[in-house]
Amino acid sequence: MARSNEVSINESKMVVPLNTWVLISNFKLAYNLLRRPDGTFNRHLAEFLDRKVPANANPIDGVFSFDVIVDRATNLLCRIYRPSDTDEPPNVADLEKPVKSESSSTVPVIVFFHGGSFAHSSANSAIYDTLCRRLVGLCRAVVVSVNYRRAPEHRYPCAYDDGWTVLNWVKSRAWLESTDSKVHIFLAGDSSGGNIAHHVALKAAESESGIEVLGNILLNPMFGGELRTESEKRLDGKYFVSVQDRDWYWRAFLPDGADRDHPACNPFGPKAASLEGVKFPKSLVVVAGLDLVQDWQMAYVEGLKKAGQQVKDLYLEKATIGFYLLPNNAHFHTVMDEIKKFVSSNC
Amino acid sequence: MVPYDTAAIPIANPPASSSSSTTISKPPEIDGLLAGAGYKVRSSDLRHVAQRLERLETAMLNSPSQHLSLLASDAVLYNPSDLSTWVDSLLSELNQSQSLPSLPSDLSDLISNPTALDASWMDQQLSPPTAAIPNQQPSQLTVVEEDSGIRLVHMLMTCAEYVQRGDLSLAGSLIQDMQSLLTRVNTGCGIRKVAGCFIDALSRRVFAAGGGGIPGSAYETEILYHHFYEACPYLKFAHFTANQAILEAFDGHDCVHVVDFNLMHGLQWPALIQALALRPGGPPTLRLTGIGPPSPDGRDSLREIGLRLAELARSVNVRFAFRGVAASRLEDVKPWMLQVNPKEAVAVNSIMQLHKLLVGPGLDPAHRPAPIEAVLGWIRSLNPKIVTVVEHEADHNQPVFLDRFTESLYYYSTMFDSLDACALQPEKALAEMYIQREICNVVSCEGSARLERHEPLARWRERLGRAGFRPLHLGSNAFKQASMLLTLFSAEGYCVEENEGCLTLGWHSRPLIAASAWHALPETAAVSPDVAVVGGAVM
Repeated sequence: MARSNEVSINESKMVVPLNTWVLISNFKLAYNLLRRPDGTFNRHLAEFLDRKVPANANPIDGVFSFDVIVDRATNLLCRIYRPSDTDEPPNVADLEKPVKSESSSTVPVIVFFHGGSFAHSSANSAIYDTLCRRLVGLCRAVVVSVNYRRAPEHRYPCAYDDGWTVLNWVKSRAWLESTDSKVHIFLAGDSSGGNIAHHVALKAAESESGIEVLGNILLNPMFGGELRTESEKRLDGKYFVSVQDRDWYWRAFLPDGADRDHPACNPFGPKAASLEGVKFPKSLVVVAGLDLVQDWQMAYVEGLKKAGQQVKDLYLEKATIGFYLLPNNAHFHTVMDEIKKFVSSNC
Repeated sequence: MVPYDTAAIPIANPPASSSSSTTISKPPEIDGLLAGAGYKVRSSDLRHVAQRLERLETAMLNSPSQHLSLLASDAVLYNPSDLSTWVDSLLSELNQSQSLPSLPSDLSDLISNPTALDASWMDQQLSPPTAAIPNQQPSQLTVVEEDSGIRLVHMLMTCAEYVQRGDLSLAGSLIQDMQSLLTRVNTGCGIRKVAGCFIDALSRRVFAAGGGGIPGSAYETEILYHHFYEACPYLKFAHFTANQAILEAFDGHDCVHVVDFNLMHGLQWPALIQALALRPGGPPTLRLTGIGPPSPDGRDSLREIGLRLAELARSVNVRFAFRGVAASRLEDVKPWMLQVNPKEAVAVNSIMQLHKLLVGPGLDPAHRPAPIEAVLGWIRSLNPKIVTVVEHEADHNQPVFLDRFTESLYYYSTMFDSLDACALQPEKALAEMYIQREICNVVSCEGSARLERHEPLARWRERLGRAGFRPLHLGSNAFKQASMLLTLFSAEGYCVEENEGCLTLGWHSRPLIAASAWHALPETAAVSPDVAVVGGAVM
């Protein structure tokens, strides 16, 4: 037992920079403490441990942020990030100044869903605050980061409902409209956030809402199924993630009694409806080659293609989970470039 | 359903604020990327921390998962930002719990979780259940109301700019416009109340001769304070967190002495008295020295409070003595008035008081030395086991009026927003008046009349550090209990956060008050960066 642990520690240490290793290992071990075998979650300790940052209306590196309550009934909060050309802080009444008054070209609005396997992190977690700020500068976008309700206290479909609420809210904000009087919306997310982005896009496509999502950006999206895939067996426990912990999170998120072929987990599985003919947005799916879930992610890509949907997959052979959290590796920069191209060409 | 949002004043750290954590410079040897993620690790320590993480992983793998969950629930953990110490403390917790037989669960509960404290809060500070119901606001704001809200904010900012520039006549006419707009705005509109307070404060600044706050007697202040205490959890959180830390600091001491910098109605103390009564091994002898303003009408209100507390102490068999120290200002108190005995364990408790001792930043200290330095000096000379400090988490002491105005507009609108969730009347209305007085002081007073000179936690850390105090970290147990009690007794939306050993309470992701604990280095000791931990081993 100890020996294979040594092997996995050594392997993971060889493929990521030391500070990344420290960061993700720390998460991994802390998260081990939070998941209880009986399926409950130590939420107090989780909140105590999570490093958070407040919103900041002072532009830092050209980005400022503020929080908005989108739905008081569920305390649904969003953190909005906007670009700023000056160091001058915006007037408090100008936080929601119309985006078209600042830019004559279209302004993408990226609705972002943070990761955390449906149970961890928040919109104001430091790592996600940093990531969203980067997306603003990269895409000259407004980023709306959704503080969705988490498992196990709030199971499926709460996170999807919150995403849907925010999507509707974003669409109805006049201040987010570009000069063509339309809000140009992208959905993005990492890990569970990627899963949420898919399902919110699906809901938008299937409903009669008329909400058009211009593109989906899925970073290491969290999908799964009952079958044990080759990558899960091969990479189990080797690069920060284990099949056992993935199973725990699915049990925490999916409805009682559901298995991992539930369409929320397995959107192209035996229980899912076909996406053929659905007006689904173009997708950019980033897959890390050392992520044990990659077979499911590639199956997702295949599923989209077979249903006639447009999808680009970016497979990064030597990347582990969380590579996009710190800008200290080549994969990070590759992905940021791809995201920038994807948004600008589909906006 | 159209979602409701508070478009007028979103929740954020305001512009022109230097209190943002991102602007605080870090020592150059800290890994910058990890710092961005909220962790402080020296680059030179990375390898060592990595090794310890490996050890921790192995140790965790060798523990059954039930064991880990129990550890997570029962171990008291501190300051997760300091990764190195954090990992080591987890390792030592794991090692300890593996070698000792586990205590029966009820006994271990008592030791790490004085349930008496919970019971006291519930018994004495119980709000009727309606307070826990989230605010039943209509789900749709009309467009007119939203526009008025935004217009009011625009006008407030413009008015503040006029005041900043010295254009008082322009400011004055804008104030009149705002007052008339205010009458047309629906009272259900979120921004209306806080805008009303700021318009009133600006009006006092511009029109009142000599500028002025809201006059009021100490008695009135006490009433408003009491209702603020009932209507929202800020003061309860402050009392609870401070008491928890004081209880732990008094562990093992038979003679203890609490010095309360602002006794008011002594609301903080019944819970501590009861917790001490239930202490394993029996209660200590407790002395309480309560500082408060002199009563104008011959009543000795301090003594009255003291008598009531003494009755309570008697009923639970705690030997208790009370002394009142009447002083209009904290800086008028001299340490000899407190009659501290060198054999006692002393706790100094300051809830929202220290900021009144500050002066305007940038003033020449030689010209008017800030009273804070003198007071911190004599606190240190008392050699306290613990100093509990709760302060507003805001920078309302900025030298430029406009910056101060903007910051307080953000701060108080968030606070008003949180108060909206309270259904108790007249508690809510009087609490709003309490807050209004603070706003008035921040906006319309200057010089020695401006007492509400709130400064953020980061600045207090520096100040207390320079004065020879070292942090006592508040841990996961205090965090957990504060969170639990909040969910029981307050509307959803309040959040407790851990901030490098201190706890903050805020509304919807904006911290509004910060609680911290300190101990004084003995005056003869060399200044060292070591940090002690409340109730646990010294790191």
